[in-house]
Amino acid sequence: MSVTPQSLKTLSRAWEPMSYGFLDASAKREMRRKMIKAVAVPGCQMPYASREVPMARGWGTGGLQVSLTLIRPNMRIKVIDQGADDSVNAASIRHFLARVSGAPTTLDTLQADLIQSRHRIPEEKLNEDQILVLQVPNPEPLRPVQPNMSVARQMHADADYGRMWLQLYEQIVRSGRVMQGASYPSMVNGRHVMTPSPIPRWDVPKLNMAQHLTILSAGREKRIFAVPPYTRVEPLVFDDVPYKVEEHHDLTCSRSGAKGFFMNEIPQEDGSSAYELSDSGFGVKHIQQGIGDAVTLGKTWYENGEMVE
Amino acid sequence: MRTAPTPSREETRANATFEALIWSMSRPGRLRDLPERGEAQIIEALIDRECHVFCADPLLMPKVLETGARIAALAGADHVFLGMLTDLDGLKSLSTGSDLYPDGGASVVIRARLGEGSRLRLTGPGIETEECIHIGGVPEGFWSLRRDLIQYPMGFDVFFIDGARVLGLPRSTKVEML
Repeated sequence: MSVTPQSLKTLSRAWEPMSYGFLDASAKREMRRKMIKAVAVPGCQMPYASREVPMARGWGTGGLQVSLTLIRPNMRIKVIDQGADDSVNAASIRHFLARVSGAPTTLDTLQADLIQSRHRIPEEKLNEDQILVLQVPNPEPLRPVQPNMSVARQMHADADYGRMWLQLYEQIVRSGRVMQGASYPSMVNGRHVMTPSPIPRWDVPKLNMAQHLTILSAGREKRIFAVPPYTRVEPLVFDDVPYKVEEHHDLTCSRSGAKGFFMNEIPQEDGSSAYELSDSGFGVKHIQQGIGDAVTLGKTWYENGEMVE
Repeated sequence: MRTAPTPSREETRANATFEALIWSMSRPGRLRDLPERGEAQIIEALIDRECHVFCADPLLMPKVLETGARIAALAGADHVFLGMLTDLDGLKSLSTGSDLYPDGGASVVIRARLGEGSRLRLTGPGIETEECIHIGGVPEGFWSLRRDLIQYPMGFDVFFIDGARVLGLPRSTKVEML
């Protein structure tokens, strides 16, 4: 075989009105290379270029670039924002993904091949063939204890997480409990501490030894990291202070009657609160089931408000 | 009415190749089919002018040159195509990145015979309990060399390919010879 002589024709491609999936080929190749490295070193933040997409940084551009790289015409996509499929952010990202790829969309977790999510993991278990993409505003779990990111990177290299533990200890001493509500720092594969993105504490155990691949991407901060399937994700806790999820196990959804899942609190005029399922697609399925429609409810991570081991 | 965009042939192939690669890297020890045989599709999906490539297979070189990637010595390469691996002497200089930037570790593509040869037990991320596989066509001593070179999170990641089948082996996987 010899080198084909190069001409303008061999060096260029056929004209296209737009790259498929919006990102150009070189942007996608960079994403692919970095995603492979992110999977190879679970929980370790890999820098990447983070290209321009027609959306302001900080609105899910990191997750969007991952989705755009993975997307193909027959990949069914679901986009959620704090559990809801119908928030402006989720709806516009879903609309954009469908428009630049021709991919079908769904609101049903069980039907989706790719789920891009802001700050929630669906209540129904994801299977081996599904990919979860989490949008990450701040990828650096050490930032509260070390604002200098070069120093923080050195701390990750040294697995020097002493200050992280100290911060948790101080919270317990001051307030009697760990005050970290969302993005609870978690040890991945026993080596790297990562932020699981601002998912509630309720969702962190869902990442531990999960069947699906999770890719976390921060577009503004230009970092990408991943949790492969069957990887240990352990929230940082002291032996004598167990990890606590939000106390939602005995709350009932006022709209669907479902019980034992993560809820949104809706303040009422009389000062009390009503609750509704945070995972809106799951809630809709419960309501449909209630009125006798044929729906399939998947297996859930939590049953009766308890994490299933 | 809007028309749905359609991917070009190259885009479809690169997308499917990458899907197979990320799937197999996420599930070490489990075989997955690539859309076609050989390394050319992997080069198309991953390599461009930003890469430093070492390519031991002269038949693959034209494909690498087409991408505009820089040709590098093994020590300076981020993507390494070894073809059929015959001797291990050179491999000691394989780039493994640094503790600060583990992503500097090389991605290595090796041709092997999957499903025959030495029996290995794999454990680590991506594997629920353990996976037992056979990989043949890799010189004696490769596995101990790999163990010596990888100081997690520093290390290199391998795709073994056999025809159209691929097997991912990230640095996080522990390999035991049985």
